[in-house]
Amino acid sequence: MKLLKRIIYLFIATLILSSCSSDDDDIIIVDPLGDYEFGFFVTNEGPFGTGTGTVSFISEDFSNVDHTIFNDVNATDLGNIVQSMGFANSSAYIVVNNSNSIEIVNRYTFESFATISVGLNNPRYFVADGDTGYVSNWGDPFDNNDDFIAVIDLTNNVITSTIPVAFGPEKLMIVRDNLYVAHQGGYGQNSILSVINTNANSFITTIQVGDVPNSMVLNEGDLWVLCGGNPDYTGNETNGRLVKINTETNSVSQAFDFGATEHPNNLTIDSSSLIYGLNAAVYSKEESSTELPTTSIISGFFYSMTVNEGKLYATDAGDFASNGTLKVFDLTTNSEIESIEVGIIPGGVYFNN
Amino acid sequence: MERVYLYLLLFICATPMYAQLDSIQKLEEVLLIDSKLDDYSDGYQLTSISDTLIERNKASLTDVLRFNSAIYFKENGYGMVSSPSFRGTNASQTAVIWNGININSNLNGQTDFNTISPNSVSDIVIRSGGGSSQYGSGAVGGSIHLNNRISFKKQKENALRLGYGSFSTLEGSFKTKQSNKKYYVDLGVDFIDSKNDYEYINLEQKNENGEFSRFNVSANTGLKLKKGSLSWNTNYFLSNRNFSGSITAPSDDHYKDVTTRNLVSWKTLKNKWASTLKTAHLLERYRYYPNKEKELYFEGKSNTYLGDYLLEYELLSNLKVSSVINYTYIKAEGNNTGNNDRNTLAAIFLLKHQVSKKLSYSINLRQEFLNDFENPFLFSVDAKYQLISWYSLKLNASKNFRVPTFNDLFWDAGGNENLQPETSYQGEIGNVFHWKSLQFKLNGFYITSKDLIKWQPSGSGLWMPVNISESENYGLEFSGIYSRKFKSHLLSVSGNYAYTSAIDKEKDKQLIYVPYHKVTGLLSYNFKRFSAYYQFLFNGEVFTTTDNVGILDAYSISNIGLEYEIKRQPLPIKIGIKINNIFNKYYENVAYRPMPNRNFQTFINFKF
Repeated sequence: MKLLKRIIYLFIATLILSSCSSDDDDIIIVDPLGDYEFGFFVTNEGPFGTGTGTVSFISEDFSNVDHTIFNDVNATDLGNIVQSMGFANSSAYIVVNNSNSIEIVNRYTFESFATISVGLNNPRYFVADGDTGYVSNWGDPFDNNDDFIAVIDLTNNVITSTIPVAFGPEKLMIVRDNLYVAHQGGYGQNSILSVINTNANSFITTIQVGDVPNSMVLNEGDLWVLCGGNPDYTGNETNGRLVKINTETNSVSQAFDFGATEHPNNLTIDSSSLIYGLNAAVYSKEESSTELPTTSIISGFFYSMTVNEGKLYATDAGDFASNGTLKVFDLTTNSEIESIEVGIIPGGVYFNN
Repeated sequence: MERVYLYLLLFICATPMYAQLDSIQKLEEVLLIDSKLDDYSDGYQLTSISDTLIERNKASLTDVLRFNSAIYFKENGYGMVSSPSFRGTNASQTAVIWNGININSNLNGQTDFNTISPNSVSDIVIRSGGGSSQYGSGAVGGSIHLNNRISFKKQKENALRLGYGSFSTLEGSFKTKQSNKKYYVDLGVDFIDSKNDYEYINLEQKNENGEFSRFNVSANTGLKLKKGSLSWNTNYFLSNRNFSGSITAPSDDHYKDVTTRNLVSWKTLKNKWASTLKTAHLLERYRYYPNKEKELYFEGKSNTYLGDYLLEYELLSNLKVSSVINYTYIKAEGNNTGNNDRNTLAAIFLLKHQVSKKLSYSINLRQEFLNDFENPFLFSVDAKYQLISWYSLKLNASKNFRVPTFNDLFWDAGGNENLQPETSYQGEIGNVFHWKSLQFKLNGFYITSKDLIKWQPSGSGLWMPVNISESENYGLEFSGIYSRKFKSHLLSVSGNYAYTSAIDKEKDKQLIYVPYHKVTGLLSYNFKRFSAYYQFLFNGEVFTTTDNVGILDAYSISNIGLEYEIKRQPLPIKIGIKINNIFNKYYENVAYRPMPNRNFQTFINFKF
């Protein structure tokens, strides 16, 4: 992907340069689109209540680490609890939960050019579909009836409408003309996905998946949803569950139950291997296998996990009151190849390609 | 009982007698309900904060102590939750003692210093160093004693004070006091109400959602008996606060506190015996509204019932011993902690020996029973030796503890019923120099603590408290006071400096929100009916993250005040103005929570 994209950029640049220039230059110099074009970002939530979250940038070869890029470029703080980020065209949308805002930056230079600060209430995740963006919002976390998806017109970055949904909307996924919303359940627990038609921005259906759907991945029309199950302290503990959704029919086509007290999280995918965290270890399940794996591939309790090009990027939030660590594992050998200090409570890894 | 004491005496010492103690048979004209404080703390530094100093920061007990002692306060925005750090320990390791009774919250182990009205006490004593054997859980770094003294002398006083200041701050207090040789009664009512909407300097932001109001009533009565005294102290406190937002996060929170405290003490004297029977009830209740516009709230409350019997015996003219039996029953309930209770029986033994005019020492022992967790045996020994007329040496060493709070034990979800008390050992060397009107003190202390309760995420991601941390604190404290009078002019200078190192041993880093350096200064000038003062505070940088990467800058601020008395009979009036933060400096006490810009307070005080 990354290589392909680079070749395309090079190709476009060549076209432009060659069409504008009558000189026959032997060497074509391509200006990078920005300092942060080749690498990935880590969103760091930052301390709760006071202070600011940050975004770290790490170059592809890990040699260049820059910790507070938003502040460095824009000389201002992002805000409190940097929950997540998403991309649309050449922009990055940084969702700042406790400040009820989204900072919009050029994804290559990180220059801020817009802020959405009206119409959000406890925003969680962002996803784009063409010129439309969707943001899950908890609303008042103690009110289960005011949760919604904010719809953003990405041409002017204004919230144009809201779609009320069941409580606790969290992760989002676009599949063709549908938006899938995983209802993890906010401060409580929920057990459904909402399906929203993105042409009409209208609600289609809900799918019962399992308690506390906390992460999703898509592979060839199959949406894999990992449900953590209700935790012990709810007094109604339920097991975790891995569910496969057929996105043509919006129905559950396969489900795997974990042990009664097992609560997996952080589902990610490495070609056909589903990777998730459970009991301070990382497991890998082949999509086609009919059983859950019993042996782990990596040990460690991670706050977030993302796979990219055969490597697992796992964040460790430590004591949640000091800088965390990003660990990179090579999934062919399952060995740690990098450990990089990042910001406070690193909650997500995002690749700029 | 007498025999037990005799054995103890033989066991502990058999030294010749020189000096005499104050006889316990004499009932003092000014009665300190907590008589232990004066009697068994010779080797500790006791610093008294006078009512004049309290008067100058009338709006906030946090400010009274912040500007007049080495204690550091972490205030979550002006007027919001304010927690002390004494010698680098945390808020639940600083005991607040009201007339001898520990009033730290049973729910979170702390006292929020913005939920105590400075008007409700007659004096404040800061007792540096460990005091668990006398005062129980939490007296690790030191204890702060809020006293209501009862005096059996003829007096009649009424005072009304009204004040108005920046950020729509209105305050008022009324106090009446009447007493003679037989009885004493005082009644005080005070309130403060503030929008607290100060502007953040150089930021286009205001302190939002920061309004607070407080209301307090306190009454103290005393009756002199033929051989003893009977007294009743009572206090009611109500506070309504919104919790202010920070630079990066707005807030809709609202918080309501109610506390009531009642204490009845009956003191009897007979020959060489003195006994004090106390019974007390404490109520604390909070309601937290995550959104002030909505009905939803979370609440918690706790009732403490306490019975305490102190028996004191003057074994020799220079040796007295006391034993205390204290029974405490706590019942707490709340949305997050369920219904739980705790029974504690404590046996305390105190000995004070005035070996000579120059040398005295005391021994305090405490053993608790009934608690569900381990009950460590606690002790403290202290001594004072006056080497020369202008120099005394003070020494103390103690073992102290902090018991798990109801939140630690029962919080849903995460509470851990297997928690044990935190324990710590400490030692201190104090030096007191005194020449006429110049006095200064230099203390060095060392505290080592283990099994500190820390909330941390468990394997399942759930936050739970565990007895895991260890810390090591050491430091130096310097305080000095000098005053000079010539003709009608009175000039006095005082100051504090503290160096505090508080190390998290696991990480080998300074604990967060503990400044290495803190300085306070006070310059007062008095000429006839006019007085002026200058308050100064330097707060060194603090770390905001446990890896010491996040740093909050040091700051210094200055306040000035002017007061003038119009002695017009029959209604003497005092008027005053105070300017806080005169240089209009931007500073944060907690990261991203700016403190007030330059602001004014004015008052008028009538006496009749």
